[in-house]
Amino acid sequence: MSPRNKPKGEQQGWYVYGIVEHDVEVLPDTRGIGDPPAPVETVVSGDIAALVSRVAVDQPIGERGDLLAHEDLLDTVALDVPVLPLRFGAVMSSRDAVAQELLEPNHDLFADSLHELSDEVQYVVRARYVEEALIREILDEDPDTAELAEQLSGKSMESTRDAQIRLGEMIGVAAEAKRRADTDALIEAIGPLVAATNVRAPTHEQDAAHVAMLVDRDRDAEWEETLGDLARTWSGRATVRLLGPMAPYDFVTTTQTT
Amino acid sequence: MTTATQSTGGGPSGGALDRPSGSSLAEVVDTILDKGLVIDAFVRVSLVGIELVTIDARVVVASVDTYLRFAEAVNRVDLAQSGGKGLPEFLEGAQETGAEKKVKGAAKGAIEAAKDTIRDWNDDDGGRRHQPDGGRWRDREA
Repeated sequence: MSPRNKPKGEQQGWYVYGIVEHDVEVLPDTRGIGDPPAPVETVVSGDIAALVSRVAVDQPIGERGDLLAHEDLLDTVALDVPVLPLRFGAVMSSRDAVAQELLEPNHDLFADSLHELSDEVQYVVRARYVEEALIREILDEDPDTAELAEQLSGKSMESTRDAQIRLGEMIGVAAEAKRRADTDALIEAIGPLVAATNVRAPTHEQDAAHVAMLVDRDRDAEWEETLGDLARTWSGRATVRLLGPMAPYDFVTTTQTT
Repeated sequence: MTTATQSTGGGPSGGALDRPSGSSLAEVVDTILDKGLVIDAFVRVSLVGIELVTIDARVVVASVDTYLRFAEAVNRVDLAQSGGKGLPEFLEGAQETGAEKKVKGAAKGAIEAAKDTIRDWNDDDGGRRHQPDGGRWRDREA
């Protein structure tokens, strides 16, 4: 181990962001996580390389700046070259360990995956119901729920708590069914136009759809128009956000073991 | 740099698709804490334990809390208008609101207000400590 590679104290580690092809160059002013943000380097092994930066291991990580820096680095890289993003929080003891224990034993798997993803980036579609429209839709469609809502109308939450919970559950079950139907509609519209889709778990009770998709990095696209059409169809009923392009976080998890 | 701010521009010409220039912090968390290669699957020995301080603000979508929030949402809706004011009229109202917002940059505009998606993140600095899988991040170096 060269002196440069040796961490100065016992409390240094190497944070690993992701895997790229061996010839990826990191611009000198690229910074990663930490305070102050640490310079990002590569550790090369064969045809692949890891994006890494020094990290002090006696300090907790995961503050806002760290999370944004991790994502920002990977998403910026993904704009130009294929990258296999690691889940946030991977730290190894040395650059040698990154090469010998992460890159070398998994070289072919990572190289193949990079090759497979060479032309693709990820986008995430998040649709969220407009609250009032959602409630009205459900009450219009289900007389039982509407009747209970009518009975509870104007009553205090405290004095009718059990019935309120029952009403909320009925709304929740109906919203869940709508989410499934709307997610299916989204997949049906977009699915044939993209390389892959991944339905994510809802992160909010008023989510209408939460879907990641893998699309061609350069080709301008029919899927975007189709998504715009769908968003217009849902206008007033649900808002649709399109996030990306980003690294293919949702499409590298197949080898996960527990 | 990705930031937690969001585009709140509104598209006047029916652009209903919101394309923010960056993700909100909540959206970043959904992605980088839940997705991506899990290094444990590849490396066992030289992982270094490091404490993660992140906020686990994910909503359990079927809980008493969410049911109560739905019940409150029903209370906010004027039931007397149900049926009287149909969906088309409501849509009209929503579109007017959307059209009032200024267009900002992007050709495809936005109709979503920023407060909604970052609502869960108001306690940004008082977040709970979150250690996935009960100690996955412990030092494995002997």
